[in-house]
Amino acid sequence: MVSILKQKAYRDATNQVLFVGAIALTVLTFTMVGRENLEAQGITSGFGFLERSTGWSISFSLIEYSTSDPYWKALWVGFLNTAFLGAVSLCLATVLGLIVGIMRVSGNAMVELVGASFVEIFRNVPLLLQVFFWYALLTALPPPRSGIDVLGVIFLSGRGTYLPGLNVTGEVVFLAVVALMAALAGVLWLKSSRRFARRSARDKKRLTRGLLAGWLLLAIVLFWIGRIPDTPLLNLPYLKGLNYRDGIRVPPELLACIVGISIYGAAYIGEIIRAGFNAIGKGQTEAGLALGLTTWQIFTRIRLPLAIRAVLPTLTNKYVWLFKSTTIGIAVGFADFFMIVSTSINQSGQTLELIAILMGGFLLVNYSLAWVLNRVNDAIKLKGNQLRM
Amino acid sequence: MSDLSHAVRIRRMEKFYGAFHALKDINLEIGKGERVVICGPSGSGKSTLIRCINKLENHQAGSINVLGTELDDNLDNIDEIRRETGMVFQHFNLFPHMTILENCTLAPRLVRKQSQAEAEEIAMAYLTKVKIPDQAEKFPGQLSGGQQQRVAIARALCMKPEIMLFDEPTSALDPEMISEVLEVMIALANEGMTMVCVTHEMGFARQVADRVVFMADGQVVEEAPPSEFFDSPRHDRTRAFLNQILGH
Amino acid sequence: METVYREPTFVQSLKTRYFSNLWDSVFTLAFAALVIWIVWNLFDWGVLNAVFSAENRDLCAHGSGGACWAVIDARWRLILFGLYPFEEQWRSAIACAVMVLVAGLSCAPFFWSARRLAGLWLSGFAIFYVLMRGGVFGLTPVFEQRWGGLSLTIFIFASVSLLGMPLAIAFALLRRSELPWISRTMGLVIDTIRSLPLLTILFTFAIVVPFVLPDFLIGDKLYRVIVGYAIFFACYQAEIIRGGMQSLPAGQEEAAKALGMGYWYRIGYIVLPQAFRNALPPTINQFVITFKETTLVAIIGFFEILASGNAAYGTSEWNFAHVEVYAFVGMIFFVFVFALSRYGAYLERRLAVASR
Repeated sequence: MVSILKQKAYRDATNQVLFVGAIALTVLTFTMVGRENLEAQGITSGFGFLERSTGWSISFSLIEYSTSDPYWKALWVGFLNTAFLGAVSLCLATVLGLIVGIMRVSGNAMVELVGASFVEIFRNVPLLLQVFFWYALLTALPPPRSGIDVLGVIFLSGRGTYLPGLNVTGEVVFLAVVALMAALAGVLWLKSSRRFARRSARDKKRLTRGLLAGWLLLAIVLFWIGRIPDTPLLNLPYLKGLNYRDGIRVPPELLACIVGISIYGAAYIGEIIRAGFNAIGKGQTEAGLALGLTTWQIFTRIRLPLAIRAVLPTLTNKYVWLFKSTTIGIAVGFADFFMIVSTSINQSGQTLELIAILMGGFLLVNYSLAWVLNRVNDAIKLKGNQLRM
Repeated sequence: MSDLSHAVRIRRMEKFYGAFHALKDINLEIGKGERVVICGPSGSGKSTLIRCINKLENHQAGSINVLGTELDDNLDNIDEIRRETGMVFQHFNLFPHMTILENCTLAPRLVRKQSQAEAEEIAMAYLTKVKIPDQAEKFPGQLSGGQQQRVAIARALCMKPEIMLFDEPTSALDPEMISEVLEVMIALANEGMTMVCVTHEMGFARQVADRVVFMADGQVVEEAPPSEFFDSPRHDRTRAFLNQILGH
Repeated sequence: METVYREPTFVQSLKTRYFSNLWDSVFTLAFAALVIWIVWNLFDWGVLNAVFSAENRDLCAHGSGGACWAVIDARWRLILFGLYPFEEQWRSAIACAVMVLVAGLSCAPFFWSARRLAGLWLSGFAIFYVLMRGGVFGLTPVFEQRWGGLSLTIFIFASVSLLGMPLAIAFALLRRSELPWISRTMGLVIDTIRSLPLLTILFTFAIVVPFVLPDFLIGDKLYRVIVGYAIFFACYQAEIIRGGMQSLPAGQEEAAKALGMGYWYRIGYIVLPQAFRNALPPTINQFVITFKETTLVAIIGFFEILASGNAAYGTSEWNFAHVEVYAFVGMIFFVFVFALSRYGAYLERRLAVASR
């Protein structure tokens, strides 16, 4: 009998069954105890509550929402808010991070010092503290009557920042923005892809102009269709009485989150990009110099592409991590996905289902983000295994 | 100005790394069409010397004159000299994110302002010369070391330089790939290209060089035509070095 | 002819470093101006026009134009110790100092063996707990609900590290198990937890877990949150350790097998020590991030340093002084985190040299 136990295959099989079994058992116990407890409190389980109307309002929404809308719509609003916050912050963080990273490898000692200070200051202080700080600053701005006026069309006040906008429906704006991203991506692809390398520069310029003109046309058509009737196209904020009217209001919570996450993210992304540049051997630059290329040409065609390829996997992780940090919105009252879920838990008591929805939402976004970036990585990564760098 | 019979003229050149005196009082003249091999023990400064010629390293005293242009801090002069000199590195330094063809056409397009078609024609001609035209669309990481180095030579040649500088081109290669690279270099020499070669390949030196220069401790110890150099070296240092290199 | 090497003069080296060409000079001057402007304004606000003493609160409130550090003078006890009883705050202070000492000593190579590190941290933590909790040695008991401020932050951080590290090793070993069911399940668990925001995990453990646990397991909210955070930490750290193990040449474990060493001996004496050495810089980075993210528990209602900071200026007499309080708390974090990350960078350089 003992000899059977010592048989490796038998032992391996048993171990695996025990392990998976233990986990399954734990999950099962949790579910059963959970269900018992919830029933004892008179809360039905299941996702039926999603059809019920919420009865509470949400402070910031990209689509129309009223207190009589059902739970699923409230959750969708929260999800959109998180996605919006994430998209804007990640883009800003990337742009700023690129600048900081390039500053740190620029070769000018003063510029490098400023870049290093930026990274150290904003990396070493917790994100939550930074967001609180920006929020306190933004809410301490003067009230609308004495608000700060920028160029006559942008107003900063303690109640929010008012930007000029267009009187069109939200869906149309979203489509226009998506089309713009597609057009820009197309232009980038044109300039860097091998498929177009053989076309003459004139051809490429014409194609670029065509793409951008096409987008402009599409935008005009979209805005025409999506016009809100009886309103002027341009939506400029102006001061009336104690408050501003019209314009796009960016609440201080949202702005604080955007600023905080962008700057914090930029500090990390800048460091990563610097590491990317440092990972490139000196030999690449020397070969470029020996061929007579200028410093700028070497930087844009050799060092920058190689740096990006070197750090894309690390950047992917950082992006996923940054997106998760949007949950900080709840601390300053921004109606992000997490805050809507926790309010829903408070109001409806459907704890387990809502937590499942919360986790599902984040898993979905993070896996998608990672999948897209991994595809990009596969497309551009250095080929072959005889690399001597 | 100065007569143009020399390709490289180095007079009383000194180089320091901080307080370390790397090159001491170098005087060297290389004529057009001459093939010079520089050899010496490691740390002798031979790589440093050749890297000073295209200003990858800076010299602190003396003068370096390449094809009539003085090498100083004037950026225009440096650019001109780099256009006319081609360099082949020990570790190849091919651009890994570009195909072989792109590696070869990049500089002619950007620096000599050639069109894509022109540059490609020239590139394919040189790739054929180094015997790997079929690898043009591959990436450096997909080629063997010997192939990569041959591409590196073709890349430098695409700029149609007057002088080719080789910094230990075969030292990073597996033994069976050394000969394919040396073949290319010998063919190049037979066409009359001015070459300055830092190498340990004494067989190559004997076959191709017009002059062999021996360096040690940052100084030129001896220079002579190969027959004289190998058969009757004048200095003890040279003799000791040759014994080490050729003895085993 | 002998050339004498002359050290570049100060002016000459300034010239090459900062003014080597036209663009360089422009950037240097522009950024230098920016730096000087920022530093001067900060100095002016923070030191020259600042009010330091709490008695001068009225000066602040009517706008002295400078920083009102008086709020720190009045409220530092709240920020550092939370609602800990006034007479016993010396215990809190000593406990914090002990943990800082432990963290500092961990950096000394003398302690770089599993036994010594474990011993150091366990004894340090025990001293911390006894000092804070009291109830023995004649110390009056102070329950966890009254712990707050910096000491609560340090307590959470230390507990998470102590609990999370062994968990991380277990997760890493399970993840690289040869048995496919185990490694894949573990992989799924680790990837899922790593995809979730920390805040949601803390929230789940604080609010949701009491629903799904049988009564006897529920425990105090603080300890639930610590367990949740420790699991999150363990998932990230497990991947770091696994990376360290993967960078180990396969020959190491093969040699150990050839010598007849059993699994636990191999892991304990050959694989793990070297894996940790390889993974030291990312591990230190992970500790730094963990320390910073303890602030998140403030959102779940714990009175750690950020929440106590908010409370410090939250009263009507100091509610204009938010910048000063945040700056103070920020500086505390900055000091700890900067020191740790500098040490991590130093270690990385030293290890890189050693491996060449």
